[in-house]
Amino acid sequence: MLEIKNLHVKLADEDRMILKGLSLTVPKGEVHAIMGPNGSGKSTLAYVLAGRDGYEVTDGDILWNGESLIDMEPDERAAKGVFLAFQYPMEIPGVAGLTFLRTALNSVRKKRGEAELTTPAFLKLAKEKGEKLNIDIEMLKRPVNVGFSGGEKKRSEILQMALLEPTLCVLDETDSGLDIDALRIVSEGVNALRDKDRAFVVITHYQRLLNYIVPDKVHVLADGRIQKTGGKDLALELEKSGYAEYTHKAA
Amino acid sequence: MNVAVMKTKAEQAISESFEAVAEKLPGSAAVKARRAQAIGAFSGLGLPHRRIEEWKYTDLRVNVKEVLAPAVEDKTPVTIAELLVALGPLAHVDAHRFVFVNGHHRAELDDVADVRGLKIAAVGDLLVSATEDMSAMLASTPEGGDAVEALNTAFMTDGAAVRVAEGASVAKPLMIVFVRAGSQASSVAVRNFVTAEAGANATVIEAHVVLPGASPDVQLNALTEVTVGKGATLHHAKVAVDEGKALHLSNCDVTLDADATYRNFQFSAGLGLARNGLNIIFEGEGSKLDLSGAYLARHSEHIDTTLVVDHAVPRCESRELFKGVIDGHGRGVFQGKIIVRPDAQKTDGKQMSQALMLSEDAEFDSKPELEIFADDVVCGHGTTAAELDADLLFYCRSRGIPEKEARALMIESFIGEAIEKVENESLRDALAAYAMQWLGRSPRG
Repeated sequence: MLEIKNLHVKLADEDRMILKGLSLTVPKGEVHAIMGPNGSGKSTLAYVLAGRDGYEVTDGDILWNGESLIDMEPDERAAKGVFLAFQYPMEIPGVAGLTFLRTALNSVRKKRGEAELTTPAFLKLAKEKGEKLNIDIEMLKRPVNVGFSGGEKKRSEILQMALLEPTLCVLDETDSGLDIDALRIVSEGVNALRDKDRAFVVITHYQRLLNYIVPDKVHVLADGRIQKTGGKDLALELEKSGYAEYTHKAA
Repeated sequence: MNVAVMKTKAEQAISESFEAVAEKLPGSAAVKARRAQAIGAFSGLGLPHRRIEEWKYTDLRVNVKEVLAPAVEDKTPVTIAELLVALGPLAHVDAHRFVFVNGHHRAELDDVADVRGLKIAAVGDLLVSATEDMSAMLASTPEGGDAVEALNTAFMTDGAAVRVAEGASVAKPLMIVFVRAGSQASSVAVRNFVTAEAGANATVIEAHVVLPGASPDVQLNALTEVTVGKGATLHHAKVAVDEGKALHLSNCDVTLDADATYRNFQFSAGLGLARNGLNIIFEGEGSKLDLSGAYLARHSEHIDTTLVVDHAVPRCESRELFKGVIDGHGRGVFQGKIIVRPDAQKTDGKQMSQALMLSEDAEFDSKPELEIFADDVVCGHGTTAAELDADLLFYCRSRGIPEKEARALMIESFIGEAIEKVENESLRDALAAYAMQWLGRSPRG
């Protein structure tokens, strides 16, 4: 279970607070959507969960399965099952996708006390998981994300997720830059990973994604706090009325 | 007092050592005369220093304090098994082999069966036999004002003379291996001639490697003269991997005829003080040039890449990409001069030099120079010096990769972009393996 308690976060080199007492609980097996206007702190929440430098937690805590994540390095968090699907996946020229995936997978397995995968075993796994996401093994011989379309980059993110088998999946604006077909493939990939032992935090600006990845709960994040929580219908309401009510309330 | 004529101790020692070994250096009367002329030229020029623009960042007067005795003879025993150890990852490159130990040809280590269209001979033999061929070859060496090339002519003992016959296509690369062996620290001067006749196609790799247990000290002077004929394609690479103390002075002088393709890749790691000089002249229209390289410098290693690309004729294309990883007190130097002569219209030139700085004390000096005298040309250049990208580091770490390994992966990524320029796949793999060894990572299984 993910428990975010009264989380206060600011940028390390600025005084302005971004998250101002955010509290949220996501039980295992559930998908929670976080929706909110631009500048509400959605991406900050994603980065703070994954442990990116440059943010300072001034108060509150993030517990994952009862353990505080706050002082953990990003790679330790990954080993504990945290995975962030980036809004803008990075390109790594000169490093083949397969090399990157194998390095990541074996790093995580090592830290989890599991045996590292041999090359043939890894290739078999990558091929199998890739097929489901329409990712050809040839594509993975090319440098990570270099020259990939927006859709290919997002599919490659979900493939990383499928291989690393995280238990807390954070998706940051996964729908941005996707056409309908790519959105469907990515969503199917995510839905295939839904599991009673896995929690999802799906961050999005638009309701559209939630037609494909149907959430158990929807939270409205504005001005650094959860302003309202509801079922999947809340997303439809937001689509009609917009965020004005919440930004107004915040102001 | 006239400072200009003051000789440094090293300059004095070089002239004295020439006197001492001149008789033992191989060569016909004509060659001996050529050597005497060259040492005379050197004597006038002295070692290059920072007040000579081309040597601004690599001052040999300051850096060369002592002079090692020339290896005029060599009998160090080397077995094939030892050679393969010295070659390391390069041993996996499927290639014909032509081998030199301490600057002397060792036929028993060669692996050159009769290859159709490929003629190869030891320069040491040619120097003595006084064939017209050799005199013509030596006569073509530019007299220019380069002291390092003059020293090469004065002291050269051997090297490979390679000729790829007209229209011949030699699929398997030829690897010219220069191996250092034995506990004796010495200076070695080698000269290669590589000619691809019209329509020929070949790959030549020069490898400078060290036998385990060999003296870490060496002063190497290597000069390779390349001629690429009309419509010919030559892929050329030089790989120099050493233990951090070597003085490595290398020059490659290339002339390209019309519609030729020439690619040259320079890989340097573990060189104490290195100068990789590349001088290219386009003599025929419609030719394509790709010069690229990767270098790794740490401790107080110093690696200098200086190139001059002379677009003397119209419609030629040149591409340069050099990438250096600099750690510790290491220093990378890049000087790239592109000359576009008044007649060389429709020239297309692009140059990029990048350094990845891994420490506070790393230094990178980059000096692109474009001298454009024609008006209908496309020329560009760029230089970057940067630290590891923090966002990319976070991306890797968020995938569970520990910081140390993530950094190594990113360095591999940086250098990998240059290594991708190498067309031969097994050579590319070997260079990637060297880079990984340098980074302290085990090669991929």
